[in-house]
Amino acid sequence: MASMLKDWGQFTFEDKWPCMRPIILKLLKQEPVTQGEWQDLFFSVHLVCLENEKGPPKLRDALKEDIMDFIKQAQQRVLAHQEEQALLKAYIAEWGKFFTQCNYLPTPFRQLETSLAGKTSSTPQKRNQPDESIVRKLMLDSWNQSIFGEIKQRLQDSAMRLVRAERNGEAFDSQLVIGVRESYVNLCSNTTDKLQIYRENFEAAYIEATEAFYWVKAPEQLSLHGVENYMRYAEAKLREEELRAQKYLEPNSASVQLLTECCVRVLVATFKPAILAECPRMIQHHQTDKLRLMLKLMDRVPEGVGPMLRDLEEHIANAGLADMMAAVDVITQDSEKYVERLLDLFRRFSTLVKEAFDDDPRFLTARDKAYKLVVNDATVFRLELPPRQGAGVGTAVVNSKPNNNNNGQPESKCPELLANYCDMLLRKTPLSKKLTSDEIESKLRDVLLVLKYVQNKDVFMRYHKAHLTRRLILDTSADSEKEENMVEWLREVGMPADYVNKLARMFQDIKVSQDLNQQFKEQCRAAIADSINIKILNAGAWARGSERVTVSLPLQLEDYIPEVEDFYKKKHSGRKLQWYHHMSNGTITFSNQVGRFDVDVTTFQMAVLFAWNQRPMEKISYENLRLATELPDPELRRTLCSLCAFPKLKRQLLLVDPPAHSPKDFAHDSRFWVNQEFAIVKNGKLQKRGKINLIGRLQLSTERSKEEDNQSIVQLRILRVQEAIIKILKMRKKINNAQLQTELVDILKNMFLPSKKMIKEQIEWLIEHKYIRRHDEDINTFVYMA
Amino acid sequence: MADSEQDNTDRGDGDNLKSDKLFTLKKWNAVAMWSWDVECDTCAICRVQVMDACLRCQAESKKDFYGRQDCVVVWGECNHSFHYCCMSLWVKQNNRCPLCQQEWSIQRMGK
Repeated sequence: MASMLKDWGQFTFEDKWPCMRPIILKLLKQEPVTQGEWQDLFFSVHLVCLENEKGPPKLRDALKEDIMDFIKQAQQRVLAHQEEQALLKAYIAEWGKFFTQCNYLPTPFRQLETSLAGKTSSTPQKRNQPDESIVRKLMLDSWNQSIFGEIKQRLQDSAMRLVRAERNGEAFDSQLVIGVRESYVNLCSNTTDKLQIYRENFEAAYIEATEAFYWVKAPEQLSLHGVENYMRYAEAKLREEELRAQKYLEPNSASVQLLTECCVRVLVATFKPAILAECPRMIQHHQTDKLRLMLKLMDRVPEGVGPMLRDLEEHIANAGLADMMAAVDVITQDSEKYVERLLDLFRRFSTLVKEAFDDDPRFLTARDKAYKLVVNDATVFRLELPPRQGAGVGTAVVNSKPNNNNNGQPESKCPELLANYCDMLLRKTPLSKKLTSDEIESKLRDVLLVLKYVQNKDVFMRYHKAHLTRRLILDTSADSEKEENMVEWLREVGMPADYVNKLARMFQDIKVSQDLNQQFKEQCRAAIADSINIKILNAGAWARGSERVTVSLPLQLEDYIPEVEDFYKKKHSGRKLQWYHHMSNGTITFSNQVGRFDVDVTTFQMAVLFAWNQRPMEKISYENLRLATELPDPELRRTLCSLCAFPKLKRQLLLVDPPAHSPKDFAHDSRFWVNQEFAIVKNGKLQKRGKINLIGRLQLSTERSKEEDNQSIVQLRILRVQEAIIKILKMRKKINNAQLQTELVDILKNMFLPSKKMIKEQIEWLIEHKYIRRHDEDINTFVYMA
Repeated sequence: MADSEQDNTDRGDGDNLKSDKLFTLKKWNAVAMWSWDVECDTCAICRVQVMDACLRCQAESKKDFYGRQDCVVVWGECNHSFHYCCMSLWVKQNNRCPLCQQEWSIQRMGK
C-alpha cells in the first residue's frame, strides 16, 4: 500500500490498461476472477481517473471497444445458427451470460462514471440508480445495436411460435420466451418509458398471436362441441391464458390485463349471443353448474348478465304462473294449498338462484321482481275492487272526495288467502292441531315471507284483523302466545304502526274484559253470573265503523242488558255502550224427542229459535219471524239459512217449506218449524246427546256493509294517497312529479301500491281544493300551499 | 203429521223435567263496544280521534307496545271534549276552551 501511494499520480491510462484488460475480458467471458484481480480493477480505475482529464474518456473508449469485440464474437456464435429454434437457444444462452455481466461489470467503473458525469453534466442524483450506469448502458446499447436489433424479429417470431406450440400442448423451455421478453424490456434506451419497445413489439405480437390463435380455435370448438362444452373450454382457456400471460409478459405492466381483455373479447364476447341463447333452456332445466359457468363468462363482458337476469325473471314469472294455473282448481278453494304452493315456488326459485348464481344480489333482485309478479298476478284469482262510478252513493263519510277514483283494475286475491291461511294456523283447526308449535311458527314466518311480496298489504291487514276479531270474540285461538308473537312479527316486517298498534290494543282489551267480567260476576246475582260472559271492547280498536244491527232479543237476554250497563256505569264514566249483537253468541240447550243437545249459536240464531219456545210445534212464516226478531231482511235470511241448510249437517235444526238452499230462496210465506227429529249423526249413528256448533264464520258486518267493504278499501287508499302527498309536500315545499311519485310509493309500499291514475286524480283533487298548486314555470312541479 | 206431533209433545214433556222449553239458554257471550260519550269524535287540539290515544301518547306507546293507553277524555263546562293530555298542555298557555273561548273548567273526566 505504501509503495502504491508513493507512486501516486504517476500512473497513466497507458500504464494501467494492460493489467486491467485481461480482468475485464475475463469478466465479460464469465471466467473466474480472483478477489485480488477484482480489487485491483477497482484501484486501477481509481488511479486512471485521478491521473488527468484525459484518462476517463480513454478508459471508456477502450472499454467500449472491448465490449464491442466481445459482442461481435457473441454475435458470430449466435448467427452461426440458421435454424430458428437453434438461433433462439443460442441467443438466449449468450444473452443470459451477457445480461448477468451487465450487473457486475459496471461496479468497478463507478469512479469513471463519476468523473465523466462531473464533466458532461451536473445531475448527480441520477447516479445512484444502477440502471443509469453509463457502462451498463454502454453494454446494453451495444448489444442492442449489434445483435438484438438485427435478429429481434426472428427471435420474436420464434418465441411466438413456441407459445403457439405450448398452446397446442407441446412442452419447451419457457426461459426461451422469457429471455426474449427480457431483452425487449432491458434494451430500451428510452428512459422515460422503458417498456415502450417491449410494448410495441413483444406485447403487441403476443396479443395478436393469441387473438389469431383463438380466432380460429374458438369457433371450431363451438361448432364441434356445442355451447355447453364451449363454455367449459372458454373458461379453462381464459384461466390458462391468464397464467401463461403472467409467465411470459412483463409483470409490472398492464400486459396481463390487456391480454385477458383480448381473450375475453375473442373467446366470450364474440359468442355472447350464442351462449346466451342457451340460458333460458338451462334455467328451465335447472342446470345449475352450466349456469354458474355462464355467469362467470358473462360477468366478464359488458351487457352479458342483463339478458340472463331477464331470462331468469321471465322463467320465474312464466313457470310460477303456469304452476299456479295448473292447480287453479285446488288452490282457489284451499288457502292452505295455495300458500303452500306459493312457498314451494319461492323455495324452488331461491334454490335455483343460490345454486346457479351463488345468491348474487343481481339475481336475487330479479327473483324478487318476478316473484312479486306471480304473487300479485290477477289472472289466477282476482279480487274485484268496485269501480266506484258516480258520486255520493252511500259514501257519507267521504262525500267530499273525488268520485271518479276507480282503481278499477282487479287485484290478486293473494292477501286474502294469506290471511285465511294465517287464521287456519292460529285458530283451533284440524290443521293447527296436527302441527307442532315450531311447525306453526315456521309456517307463520313463511306467510310473512310471501307477504313481503304482496303489493296490497292493506287487504291482508283488513282480513287478518277480521280473523283475529273472530278468534278473540269466539275464543278460538289455538295459542295466545303465538297470536301476540304474530303481532310483533307483523311489526317487524314493516306493517304500519297504527295498524299493528290496533291489533296489540285488541289483545289488551280482551284482558281488560276478562277482569271486568270477573268483577261483574262477583257483584251480580248468581243466576246471571252463570249464564253470561261480557266483553266490552274499545270501539276505536275493534269496530271499524261497522253499523250495528237491531234485533229483538229473547226476553231473558234483554233482562241482562241493564244489569251490565249499570255495572259498567259504576266502573267508568263518560263512556257510552253499544251492543254488538251480531258479534255476540252463546250456547243453548235444545231438547226434542230424540234427545238433548248443546248448540253453539249466534245471538241472531238464538233470537230466531227462541220464537218457538212459546209455540214449539207450530210452523211459523218468514214474515212472522221477521216481526218477532225485528232483524233486517238480509240478516234474517242469512240466519235462517244457517239453521235450515247448515253445511255438512245430516239433520238440520229447522225445516222449511218450500225447501230452500240459499238465503234468496225464502219467500215471505215460507214456513219454518223445529225439526223434532234433529239429532247429531256420527259415523252413521244417531247421538242422543252432544254438542254442535252452528256459528260458522262469525259475521262481523252486515250484508250491506260487507258490500261496501271493498269499496272502503279503495276509499281508504284515496285518503292515504292524499295524506302522503301532503306529508311529502309539507316537508319538501316543492317537488317535481317524478320525485313525488317515487316518494309516494315509498311511503305507501307497506300498505298498497298506488296506481298512477289514482295518484294523478288525487293530485288534481288537492290542486282543486287549494292544498297544493302547480309551479308557475313548470307544470310538472308542485308547490305546497299552507 | 198430527199424530207425530202429538207423540213429540208427550215425549218432550217426559224427557225434559228441568224446563219445558224447547230451547234454554246456557251461556251468552255478549259483546258491546264502548266509546267516549262525546259530541265530536275528534280532539280539536291534536286532530286525532278521541277513541285513539292522542298523538303524544301514540308516539310514546310505540316504545312499549302494549303500552297502557290511559289517554282519557276530559269535558269542560262548555261540554267540549278533548284528550286530557292535550288539554292539560293547552291550559298552561291559555286557560280557555280552544273551541268556544270560554274560561276552561273541567266538568268531568273520562274513566
